[in-house]
Amino acid sequence: MLRHIARRLLLAIPTLLAVFTIIFIIVRVAPGDPATAALGDYASAEAVEALRERMGLNEPLWRQYVIFLGDLARGDLGRSLITETPVIDQIAFVLPYTLELAFAATLIGLLLGIPTGVLTAVRRNSMTDYVGRAVSLVGLSFPAFYLGILLIYFFAVRVRLFPSVGSAPFSEPAQNLHYLILPALTLGLIETAYIARMTRSVVLTILSDDYIRTARAKGLQEKVVLVRHALRAALIPIVSLVGIFAISLIGSSVLVEEVFARPGLGKLMVGATKQKDYTTLQSIMVVYALIIVVINLITDIVYTYVDPRVRYG
Amino acid sequence: MTRRRIVAIVLAMAVFMSGALTGLVGSATAQEGDRPVLRFAVNAADLASLDPHFASGTQDRTVADMVFNGLVRFVPGNSAEIEPDLATEIPTPEEVDGKQVWTFTLREGVMCHPSAETEAYELTAEDVVYSLQKSAVPDRSAYSRDYTGMTVEAVDDYTVAITLDQPLSETLFLPKVANYSGGFIVCSQAVEALGDEAFRTAPAGTGPFMFESYTPQNSVVLTANDDYFRGAPQLGGVEVRYIADPSSRELGLQGGELDLAAGVNEAQWVDRINAEGNIVADVFGVAEAVWVNMNVTQEPLDDPLVREAIALAINREEHAALRGEPVSELIYSVVPAQLMPGGLTMEEAEEAGVLYQQDIERARELLAEAGYPDGFSMDLITSEMTDYAANYEVLQAELAEIGITLNLTVVDHATMHAQIREDVNPIVIYVAFRPNANVYLSQFFHSDAIVVEGEAPITNFSHYSAIDDLIEQARAETDPEAQAELWKQANIQILKDFAAYPLYMQNLVYARVPELDYGHELVSSVALYPQITEMTTLATE
Amino acid sequence: MANVAANAELAGQPTLGAPDAPRLISQRERALRTFTSNRTAVLGVVMILVIVLIAIAAPLLVPHDPLDQSVSNRLAPPDSEYLLGTDDKGRDILSRVIFGARIALMVGVFSVALGGALGTAIGVVAGYFGGKVESGLMRLTDVMLAFPDLITGLLVLAVLGPGLEKMILAIGLTIAPRFARIAYGPTLAIKGKEFVEAARSIGVKDGRLLRVHILPNVGGDLLVYASLWTASAIRLEASLSFIGLGVAPPTPTWGQMIREGTVHLALVPWYSLAPGLALLATVFAFNLVGDGLRDVLDPKARA
Repeated sequence: MLRHIARRLLLAIPTLLAVFTIIFIIVRVAPGDPATAALGDYASAEAVEALRERMGLNEPLWRQYVIFLGDLARGDLGRSLITETPVIDQIAFVLPYTLELAFAATLIGLLLGIPTGVLTAVRRNSMTDYVGRAVSLVGLSFPAFYLGILLIYFFAVRVRLFPSVGSAPFSEPAQNLHYLILPALTLGLIETAYIARMTRSVVLTILSDDYIRTARAKGLQEKVVLVRHALRAALIPIVSLVGIFAISLIGSSVLVEEVFARPGLGKLMVGATKQKDYTTLQSIMVVYALIIVVINLITDIVYTYVDPRVRYG
Repeated sequence: MTRRRIVAIVLAMAVFMSGALTGLVGSATAQEGDRPVLRFAVNAADLASLDPHFASGTQDRTVADMVFNGLVRFVPGNSAEIEPDLATEIPTPEEVDGKQVWTFTLREGVMCHPSAETEAYELTAEDVVYSLQKSAVPDRSAYSRDYTGMTVEAVDDYTVAITLDQPLSETLFLPKVANYSGGFIVCSQAVEALGDEAFRTAPAGTGPFMFESYTPQNSVVLTANDDYFRGAPQLGGVEVRYIADPSSRELGLQGGELDLAAGVNEAQWVDRINAEGNIVADVFGVAEAVWVNMNVTQEPLDDPLVREAIALAINREEHAALRGEPVSELIYSVVPAQLMPGGLTMEEAEEAGVLYQQDIERARELLAEAGYPDGFSMDLITSEMTDYAANYEVLQAELAEIGITLNLTVVDHATMHAQIREDVNPIVIYVAFRPNANVYLSQFFHSDAIVVEGEAPITNFSHYSAIDDLIEQARAETDPEAQAELWKQANIQILKDFAAYPLYMQNLVYARVPELDYGHELVSSVALYPQITEMTTLATE
Repeated sequence: MANVAANAELAGQPTLGAPDAPRLISQRERALRTFTSNRTAVLGVVMILVIVLIAIAAPLLVPHDPLDQSVSNRLAPPDSEYLLGTDDKGRDILSRVIFGARIALMVGVFSVALGGALGTAIGVVAGYFGGKVESGLMRLTDVMLAFPDLITGLLVLAVLGPGLEKMILAIGLTIAPRFARIAYGPTLAIKGKEFVEAARSIGVKDGRLLRVHILPNVGGDLLVYASLWTASAIRLEASLSFIGLGVAPPTPTWGQMIREGTVHLALVPWYSLAPGLALLATVFAFNLVGDGLRDVLDPKARA
């Protein structure tokens, strides 16, 4: 197993390198200029040029690339071109907010999704099933930002139950949770739809499996069959999917962070894209890539346990 | 087997959770005794620079205004007037060896804020010299052009003499040493100890509020400077939050999480907020002018008939309606007459024959006369920001009436600014406030400032060069009235040549809880926000 | 959000099972019958037809020209003339929502066609030829798949710049690797079957093998995903427009309208809510069809 993890990590290096290179090129090919963005519209061409020089943007591209890789190898993510604060600080600040959101959404998804999925599977082709499936299909058709706007409209504008803006620091847990609820619900409800559908499909597959039939044939009660055998078997592939959902959540959090004006990796990225803050943007992508590699690795390991057919030498 | 599976799942979840938990180590917000802390949301996702010599966005000017002072200042809430700030009085210039010299006497006992590297210390002439010299260095200031040709010397600890290569009128000189842009006085010891880079996010000045902390993408916390020379602030501090989404800011105000927030620059928004009654929307100056620049050297706009046709296709009321009165007011020259000397009023424009009201028929004729009976098409980029995008879209519809097709590409704001400076747009709609007519005219209509090709390119998108002499003449004129007259002539010439078409100017809109009292009457502010001073109060229950 | 579906389906792949034998015509007929007996799927098809008809007949249906501005009448509440009120330039919201269907469908269909063609080609070629081609192509695919598609789309669009064609290209490129993954697995499985090896041994050319034996067998799965990802593509377009990287004005698009409308949510809620509902209905319709198709093609899930 350890050998397998080591091998996967080594294999990830060329992938990461490819990602870094692509990102390095992409952010620079895009039109726009961070120096103009940083100085504002009043600045003279002279001041802009002076800043470009200081930012190191007048260096040849290959040199900038070598510097970027060198810094990266030393674990230095550089400084923001706009605010000149270390990028690592910015990321360290926003990352917990994004992870908190993804985690809460996943929790909501699992808590609501699994029971719904099991229920619709067990009562297959009943009214419960149809309604459950229709609702979950609507759920996964929802663009996250639109659901966010609806929740804001109903629970923050019409009925002022929750704050709609911003966030509170983690040192004030109660406040922090209060701010978290609407954004987490936005992602969590959509997540619920996916997990419910997945669970239904997995449970159905398992219920039609031979050993469940055998269990039934042995005269075991339906409930016992369901809980002792089917559910347990179903839980594992479902939970292993959480890793994959987590990647998606990190992506969809971009929109939710925009709508709810929450700090987060996604909001930082959109801001950096718009301000042409190359160093911040490429560093965020590096962090995304690392998160994805780690989540994939974990998912992969979990799969190894789930599916006995997958074996690594 | 089952147990191993569970262990694996738990492991996977634990890794995910530990990430979330690392965030639980944060810093507590400081409580400022029994004085309330003002929670203020600005319209931006983050700061760009708190070094006042780089502060150009509204969100940065806001913080600079609270942290720093100038030698003189625009009266809080009324930027039409200037009064002494760090200086004890406004001097009258003297002639010394054929050069104009302005000598300022400083207040004594003004304390610089402590910084991470320095203790609080008394501000002296040395700091003022350091600061104004810093403003003149291109890579230490975005406003370096405005501070060249200026020699600053410390006569003694409390006296500063500024010698100008070219004499300037009061109208042009005082804003350079006021609490605006390069005129803000920084504390030299703090800048030197921290370095320019760190100073950008940890400023130290002499103002009523001191920088406490900055949280990227989230907020800047300022605390009361109890040693402030005008007295200790009534507020315990100000928490400036960066919230780019207008509806979020509004909801934050209504939900009681904010006390003050940048509003939406629209009359309908103002009316609705004020009708709802629980929060108050204020409309005030200074307004930003909105106008259309046309490149007089590029085909087909190089033909004055085509430019005239475009001018006659435009209905400025339609553009102004995007904001609605009183947020928007019509302007008849790029320099807004309502705000500063040198602009044209409607009567003046009419008298000079440069009012140009919409006349579609005539516009079509002119276009045909110029050899474009079927019109033509043109590619333009616009910023995604409403001010730009909406005006371009209205222009698109107006020009469609006379057969001119505008193909618009929406890009993000920074990209638009970079691109139009590379001369990609033959027509540029611009939204800007500049402190006086000279800056407007020099930056947008002097040949030196022509984008790409000019000697010192800034924002002359029209490639216009017909009023250089008028601008220079006015700049050297020390009599304010004669100066204003020259600026008016320059404005008339711009319109006669159809280098630009003025649309409207838009006032600022901020919303607050009724308990917030700015401590001054709010008419206009060059800091572009309803200034928070030591007098500002927030009533609690 | 859009890619949750895609990833979930990918993850579901092993449990759903790959086709293990070439299907026969009679099976196709049965499949069609299964599909038509699936009421929800039929509902989806009907919904899509209605939306397509609305998009085509838009000029006949709209009460006003969607581009007709009257700024002085901006943000008017709904009345008998403007059923859903007017937008921030005084244009009829209803008419713009109706015309918005054109962009949504165009982006959805063309980007999936583009991504599908490109992705299938990559997947089939990689699966069939193996070796360096395989490792090269699939490594590239994996790199692209690693990122959530909103982020990929954002970056691609940042380079290409905005505009309808570029939006289609960006979404097509974003979706292509997903098709490659789907086409790759079955190709690999079929390639190993005796009948393919037999065909090859009697000298059947690669091109013909791909066309006659491989593609038809991959086709079913691809159809399901094409439908599901049309939904994703439409949602992705709206998301990118919402962030502010959309199609050029004055063309009405739903994402752009929702974005503009959020500022006025309290004053004219329909400005955001109406295009949002249209978007939701369209995405829902394509998901319904994709769902129905999957039931048909995957008997186990139907069980």
